[in-house]
Amino acid sequence: MLVDLFSKRIFNLAHQFAGNSQEAEDLTQDIFIKLYRSLPKYDFGRNFAAWFLTLAKNHLIDEYRRTKWEKRNRDDFDDRLRVAAAETGDPEANLAADEAKRTLWESLNLLPAETRMAVILKEIQGRKYEEVAEIMSLPVGTVKSRINRGRLQLARFILSAKERSHEL
Amino acid sequence: MSCDRVQDLLAGYAENDLSAEDRTLVESHCRECPDCAALLAALREADTALAGFPEVEPGRALLERLYAVSTESRPRRRVFSFFLRPSLQPVFAAAAVLMTILSLYFFNPDRKAFDRAVVRQFHRGVSRIEKLYAGAGAVTDSLGAYAGSVFTSLKAINPLGKNKE
Repeated sequence: MLVDLFSKRIFNLAHQFAGNSQEAEDLTQDIFIKLYRSLPKYDFGRNFAAWFLTLAKNHLIDEYRRTKWEKRNRDDFDDRLRVAAAETGDPEANLAADEAKRTLWESLNLLPAETRMAVILKEIQGRKYEEVAEIMSLPVGTVKSRINRGRLQLARFILSAKERSHEL
Repeated sequence: MSCDRVQDLLAGYAENDLSAEDRTLVESHCRECPDCAALLAALREADTALAGFPEVEPGRALLERLYAVSTESRPRRRVFSFFLRPSLQPVFAAAAVLMTILSLYFFNPDRKAFDRAVVRQFHRGVSRIEKLYAGAGAVTDSLGAYAGSVFTSLKAINPLGKNKE
C-alpha cells in the first residue's frame, strides 16, 4: 500500500523542509490527497518514487511560498533529532556534532526553498545527484551548484554560531 | 588566488570532486589562509552533521489519517465511463430516434385507428401484390399460348410447296 511504502519518506521530507512536526503531518496528509488525485495522470514510463517525490517537492515549495514558513520557528532540536549523535563513543565529539546539528537544524529555513530542498534530498537523505536532479526537474549541473552553495552557506552558519559562542 | 575563488571550490574539494590542479590550489591556499581553512573545517562538519540527521517515524495518528485519505480520496471508478465513449454516440442517437418513434406509437391516443389503418394498408399492399402476381401469371399463360400457336403455325408451313401425299 502506498501509505506503508511512502509515509515515512514523505513525512521526513516534510519535517526536514518545514522543521515543524505538526506542519509536517498536515503537509504529508495534503501530499497524499494530492497523490490520489494525480494518480490517473501518472506516466507508467516514469520511476514512481521519483514522480511522487517531485509531487511532494512541488507541494512543499508551493506551500512554503504561499504561507512563508520562514517566519515561523522550527521545532526545537529535540531528542528525536539528537538520537544518532548520542550513539557514538566520544562524548566531546558528540557534543560538538550535536551543536553543529542544532545550528544546521535551526538554519535550514534561512536557505532559499529550492536550495534547502536540494540540500535535504542530497545531504540529509543521501540521494545521488542524478536522483535529486530528477526529483527537482533540473539539470544535474544546476543541482550540484545549488547544493554546493547551500552547503557553503550552512558551513558559514556553523562558523558564525561558533564565533557567537566564543564571544559569550 | 583569491578567497572567493577558493571558497567556490571548497564544496567540491570536500567531496573529492576537483581536478588535481584545483585540489593543489585549495590546499596551498588553506595552508596560508585561516579563514578559508576554518570554512573548510566547518563545511566538513556540516556535511557530517547533515548526514547524521536521523529519520523520524510518523506518529500513529498521522498514519491513521493517511489510511483514511487513501480510501476517501481515491478517484472513484467510473462505472459509466464505458458508455461515455464517443464511438457509442451514433448508437445512442439511433436508439433515441427509435425510442421517439416507439413512444409516438405507444402513447398515441388514436392507436387503435392507427393500427386499423396500418392493417388496412397492409392488406391493400398484399392484395396489390396478389393482383400483380396474378397479372404476371396471365401474361405468362398468354405468352405460352402465343408460343404454342407460333409452333403450330411453323409446323403447318411447307417450305418445299409439296403435298403431304
